[in-house]
Amino acid sequence: MTVIMAIAGVEVRRFLRDRSNIFFVFVFPLLLILLLGSQFGANSGQARVSVAGNAGTELVKSITGQLQADGLRVTHDSPATVREQLSRGRTDVGIFISDGAAAAFEAGDPADLEVVASSHSGAQAALQLVRASVQTVSTQQRQLAVLQNAGIDADTAAAALRQAKEHLDLPQVEIVDTNDVSQDFRSLGQFDLGAAQQLLLFVFLSSLTGAATLIQGRRFGVIARVLAAPVSTGQAIAGQALGRFGIAVVQGGYIMLGTAVLFGVDWGNPLLSGLVLVLFCAVAAAAAMVIGSVMDNDAAGSGLGVGLGLVLAGLGGSMVPPEFFSGAMQSASRITPHRWAYDAFATIQRHDGSLLDILPQLGMLAAMAGTLLVLGAFLLRRSLGRAL
Amino acid sequence: MQSAATADVRTGTEDVLAVKALVKRYGDQTVVDGVSFHIRAGEIYGLLGPNGAGKTTIISMVAGLIPSDAGSVNILGEAMIPSSTGPKGHLGLVPQELAIYPDLTARENLRFFGSLQGLRRKELRARTDEVLELIGLADRASEQTKKFSGGMKRRLNIGIGLLHRPTLLILDEPTVGVDPQSRNSILESVERLGTEGMAVLYTTHYMEEAERLCDRISIIDEGQVQAEGTRDELIRLTGGVDRIDLRGSGNTSAAAAGLKKVPGVQRIDGGGGGLILTVLDGPSLLPAIVTGAGSAGMALTSVKITRPDLESVFLHLTGKALRD
Repeated sequence: MTVIMAIAGVEVRRFLRDRSNIFFVFVFPLLLILLLGSQFGANSGQARVSVAGNAGTELVKSITGQLQADGLRVTHDSPATVREQLSRGRTDVGIFISDGAAAAFEAGDPADLEVVASSHSGAQAALQLVRASVQTVSTQQRQLAVLQNAGIDADTAAAALRQAKEHLDLPQVEIVDTNDVSQDFRSLGQFDLGAAQQLLLFVFLSSLTGAATLIQGRRFGVIARVLAAPVSTGQAIAGQALGRFGIAVVQGGYIMLGTAVLFGVDWGNPLLSGLVLVLFCAVAAAAAMVIGSVMDNDAAGSGLGVGLGLVLAGLGGSMVPPEFFSGAMQSASRITPHRWAYDAFATIQRHDGSLLDILPQLGMLAAMAGTLLVLGAFLLRRSLGRAL
Repeated sequence: MQSAATADVRTGTEDVLAVKALVKRYGDQTVVDGVSFHIRAGEIYGLLGPNGAGKTTIISMVAGLIPSDAGSVNILGEAMIPSSTGPKGHLGLVPQELAIYPDLTARENLRFFGSLQGLRRKELRARTDEVLELIGLADRASEQTKKFSGGMKRRLNIGIGLLHRPTLLILDEPTVGVDPQSRNSILESVERLGTEGMAVLYTTHYMEEAERLCDRISIIDEGQVQAEGTRDELIRLTGGVDRIDLRGSGNTSAAAAGLKKVPGVQRIDGGGGGLILTVLDGPSLLPAIVTGAGSAGMALTSVKITRPDLESVFLHLTGKALRD
């Protein structure tokens, strides 16, 4: 065991010596998860509204409150800034509230608002939402005016309206999706799906590039020297794999923790998610050992690692959710460890799955890791007879 | 194989390494063909042959890196096969490649390989420091080895092989690509190891290194041992005659007639104001020859002995030069 730990320790030390690894293993994945979650994650379609006007006036406050209550994202800026945001597509709708309009609103008179939609395709939907919100504010103002005209003072009228709303049981509309896939994704947060997918993609990819270090070791003659010591081939490959495994587990754990803290990703039961991660990392590390034993050129080994990592990630559902795959692709995806790990994460994240629920996925991942490790040890021994 | 040994050099001492009828084939090609030799403690044994002769393949089988197709390797009586880890503890391997991690420091490289040999904590620290001193890298111990010169890397490569004080040290072309100063330092270290009782298996295609270092030498070509023995024994295979060039003035004819009577002088040719003598064991005959020439009236201005070397032996045995 000491020998295995020594070999693994050297692999980790060499990995940490290369500063570029820190960016690609720890920084880049989180950036990508942020980008994908912002663009495609649940709730990423929240409409953006920019309001230009005196923020202290009653009209601006009422409209802002109603827009936010209706689920729109509201910012306040000067008229010039809002126009620039509209022209650059950085906001969907701009609302320009003049001092005159604000004064008219406070006086109970009709107030004219200038509402401008951006030219991009999603802006029209946002505009409809803004119209509905403004309509709601307008209705409330009219109700207030009617009560005041009936001789009730402004404060009493407002209180009466609030009370009436509280006692009114308004009809609720619940949209139920009949599509199984949509139902499955309903409980996911904005970054949940992307985080699981990118975790699998990056952990496997980083591990496969580790094949190059094994090839370098063979080229340098270091592996031969290791095997000329009282070290078996199994120990040598286990040590190499353990080093890559350790790096993969740290990377995966970091992505899990980072996305949970920074983006609020819900990984479900942390122990079960951790177990899935550990077994997936074992498969990735063992696969790297197979490539590192078969290939004789470290640049080609790295290239194959990246290519294979991306193909397997795509096939295994780390780019497009496998729920959208056709029947044949669904079957094909099951040759990848990504798919088994994806399913296990889905069970834990979306359905609060137990250990029993993910036992088939865990078993398959363990079998893949064991098979690849044995194959790697065999191929490494054979590789020593080849000239590099 | 021609055996140059006049007597079995084994004197009952246990062999550190015994290689018997070793064979290795790749497809139809036999790259090692029935190689046998043995090494005792304190002996430096050379495998001398051109590149591609099969020396590294022999070493790979001796070190248990690749299996042989026939024959056996025993280290201190234990059979060496790739799956056996026991005999590997007795050997230190210094491969031809610079088998070190370039992104680790010299100390880290030594500590890593030392730990694989079972050295722990205090012992590992102490041996690492000792070896760093021995190879002259103590002041560069904390630098990544990719910043080292070729000679420094070579010294570290050898230091790693010495770390655990092996009974048998295998050095595969350890001076390839090093500057003359580092080369000399390496050769001195190897000579010292032999005197300290370590058995050394040394492969080289440099005839001068084999002549300087090795107690016994196998001449390898095309995977076979062409001849084995001490340097002198091998040289006798060529006839073992030396050439002595005498230059000077005076009565060379009288000198030639006188020198013919000296025992060991086989032939005398004249020409160019001097004599060329073909003799057995030139150095031991030299005093008698100088005295004989002088007493016959020849005033000597220069004397040059040309001895046959291993290059001549290789040429004699294989019909080609050693560095072809």
